[in-house]
Order: sequence, then structure tokens, then C-alpha cells
Amino acid sequence: MAVSTVYTVQSLNSTFSISKPTKTQLGFNQKQLVFYKKTTTTRRTTTEITCSTGDTVVIGLAADSGCGKSTFMRRLTSVFGGAAEPPKGGNPDSNTLISDTTTVICLDDYHSLDRTGRKEKGVTALDPRANNFDLMYEQPPKIFVIEGLHPMYDARVRELLDFSIYLDISNEVKFAWKIQRDMAERGHSLESIKASIEARKPDFDAYIDPQKQYADAVIEVLPTQLIPDDNEGKVLRVRLIMKEGVKYFNPVYLFDEGSTISWIPCGRKLTCSYPGIKFTYGPESYFGHEVSVLEMDGQFDRLDELIYVESHLSNISTKFYGEVTQQLLKHADFPGSNNGTGLFQTIVGLKIRDLFEQIVASRTAAPLQATKA
Amino acid sequence: MASSFTSLNLNPYPSFRSESDGEINSTNKIKIKMNMNTPPTSSSRSGTRLKAMKFKGTQMREKKLTELIEQKVVEANQVCGEDETSDECKVAWDEVEEVSQAKADLRLKLEKLQQDPLESFCQENPETDECRIYED
Repeated sequence: MAVSTVYTVQSLNSTFSISKPTKTQLGFNQKQLVFYKKTTTTRRTTTEITCSTGDTVVIGLAADSGCGKSTFMRRLTSVFGGAAEPPKGGNPDSNTLISDTTTVICLDDYHSLDRTGRKEKGVTALDPRANNFDLMYEQPPKIFVIEGLHPMYDARVRELLDFSIYLDISNEVKFAWKIQRDMAERGHSLESIKASIEARKPDFDAYIDPQKQYADAVIEVLPTQLIPDDNEGKVLRVRLIMKEGVKYFNPVYLFDEGSTISWIPCGRKLTCSYPGIKFTYGPESYFGHEVSVLEMDGQFDRLDELIYVESHLSNISTKFYGEVTQQLLKHADFPGSNNGTGLFQTIVGLKIRDLFEQIVASRTAAPLQATKA
Repeated sequence: MASSFTSLNLNPYPSFRSESDGEINSTNKIKIKMNMNTPPTSSSRSGTRLKAMKFKGTQMREKKLTELIEQKVVEANQVCGEDETSDECKVAWDEVEEVSQAKADLRLKLEKLQQDPLESFCQENPETDECRIYED
């Protein structure tokens, strides 16, 4: 069904271009993408890759650098099964991943200006001028994820997405994560980490953050409210903001869809250690859209807490009881495995699987209808 | 903003706590310890990383990234010293972020995924310099 020929070229600096989706005679929107790859350094060769597919579901994932996209991607590919690896023959340090079912394209691999070029023009990686949006690279796998700083920035690309996700990390949490990431590095100090975040903030606010209004799901990460005056950033409050009315996407809910719920699972049946776990659920308005928000504050300590919580959530699109718990345990050493970040990333992965299956089912049904007419 | 940042504890990831001493749900007989991302000590971190690091090329890349981080931080401080509000200053710190993230990605692959990124390349090209087996 999907045909593509791939030529790989070993290169770290390449630019790509895209052609728009075309409608076939039958009237479906068949995604046809053409991919031109040029090396910008000494070898000026062009390679052309054409792929057309009716079966691929395209997902966009946006977040700032260092904010957990790669962890999310690995959880997502794990839900679909198969081990994901960088493309063979390509740049081994790329964050692009390919498995049997999923392809993740990391946009941040392909900044169209090399470092020197950007420096000359005073453009950070966050500024869209540093990125060539005329790019898409496709392979037959069922799920095609585009992850990076700006997958939802350009309206043309947004049109191609079947579903989009934005990871919204609050300033305090981002700072704590980057300290954890960088403090062991010889070159870094608290001051350099702070300076880097602050210098990037204007472009982040102008170009990255606005994408969240377009996302179908936003995972917002904030410091906890369970510990008064907490400034340690250890315990997290995570909100899964789900847009209402998105085709094939049924938001997760607690107990009674559309109502407002506050739930502390710890008590007589379940004992939790400090600071415990608190859930809320309810309808809200987000940038003018109606959304449902499921929020978890606190962390899991034990398997039984996890399974208990899972059994009370609805519309999580699991295929068997305990699937969320199993997925979390599979990657227990990934950051966030014991709090809302891991939980909601896993659930979003399952929702995407569900979305994919619904879309495929509807596409298979469509040709039958066309022949009937 | 500055004061709230500096008071943050340097460990954002919740450390693994020992089992609570409350009653445990009787239906769950198996208590699986959720080893939730205890911040590694430098020795345990280097241990798992070294196990996964197989090829010379990866060791060279790690070294290069470490040096690059240092170098880029120095550059950023220099450029921003001249004019803190300039675009060049922003770009310099952005480069620091990129290189820091690249190093972190490599660390993630080695420590958590236990994979050497050069694995498939070296299967095809075992004779190259980068694919010499790295020995500590």
C-alpha cells in the first residue's frame, strides 16, 4: 500500500523540501510527500524520495529543548511495540527513530542554518527563520511522528497532522530539570544554566509557547500544591488538557464525564506515603476552546497505587486491564515514571493508538462507500 | 524570579522511597520496587554508562561534547559581557543549550537504553577508526 524508495546520505547538515498533499481521483486526501535532500557542504548531490500512503497517521509533538520529548517518544513507540532505533546508514546521533510501526522525525536534527550561519544572522534555533518548514520525510510505518520545537508553528504542517501534543513545562520545573541535566557537566554552573534559560526565553515565548493553543492535547507540568511552600521541585503537579470535539479522540475522564471531580485515592483501601496523590477532573476553557482537564498531583510509590488509579480512569483506551501500569513499569527508570508525566504520556500513547485504529477503520470503509455510489 | 530559582533543591526527580509502613492492598501480593529514577551517584552513573559504551567513536564524541559545552559557555559569557541584549548573546546561550541537550541525549542512550549509538554503523563498517572497541 505504501511505496517508497529511500536513499541515504551520510551528512550532518542537510536541507529538505516538501510538496503539498494532493487529492486522488477518488477524492481522498492521499498524502503524497516528496523529499529532496541536499548536502550543504562540499558534496552537492540531490536525492529524491517519493512516498505516498493512505494509511499513515501523522502526529505532531512540540516542546522546548530538554523538556522530555525524547522520553515521551520512547514511551510512545513502546506502546506500539517494536524497538525504535535511529535510521540505519544515517546520522547515528540523530534523534530520529524508526521501528516497525512508528517513525519519529526529530525536526531539531535539521536546522537549516548551521551554527555559524545562525550566529551571523543572530537567529536562535527557536526562531522559525532557523528552521526550514519546507520539509517532510516519510516512510511506510503506520505512525509518523514529527517532534521538535516547532511542528505546529506552520499552518501547512498543522493541516497534515491528525493529532498534536504540546509539552508545557513551567519555568520552575524547567529550571530544576536543566539543573539535574547539566550540573554534573564541567562547563556548567548554576549561573550558566540560568543564563541559558533566560537568554532563550524571549524567543521561546514568541515562537514555541504559542503552539499550545493549536494542540489537541497539552501536558502541563507544574510544581506541586500538596506541599506548602514547596520549592524543591521534586513532586510534580501534571495536567492533561484535552481538547473537546477532536475527531477520533475521546478525552480521558474520572467517574462522570463532563462533571467536576476531586479525588484523593489514598484512604482506607489504599495507603500512600507523604505527600500522597490527588486527582482532579473537570471541564475548562483553554484559549477559547472547550477542554477537559485531568490533573494528578503527587507521586506513586508502589505498584498497587498505580493499578488502583488506573482502574478508576475511564476512556483510557487500554486493551487489557493494567496496560497503563505495565507500560509504566516497563520503563520504570525513565524520568517521570512515578508521577503524572509518565502516566499521562503513556495514556496519550494509548489514545494515539486508538485514534490510529479508528482512522484506519474509517479509511478502509470509505472505498466501499465510493464504489456503492 | 531569580530568588525562587536559586532556592530550588538540585534534585527535581523524586527519589525512590522505601515501602510505606501502612497496610498494603491485600490483592497485590507482589511488591515490585519501582526504582523511580534515583539520581545516580557519579560512580553508579559512570558504571552503567561505561558498560554500554562500546566503540571508540562514542567515547570520542562524549569527550568532544564535554569540551564543547565548556567552550560554548565561555564564549557565551564573553559575547554577553559585551552586550547582554544583543541577538548574538541569545544565540550564544542557545548554542550552549543545544550542546547540553546533545550530551544529555547521548547519556540517556548509554545509561537508560544501554545502547551505543554507533552499534548499527559499526556492524556495517567495523574497520573504521570510530569502530575500534573502546577499552577503559
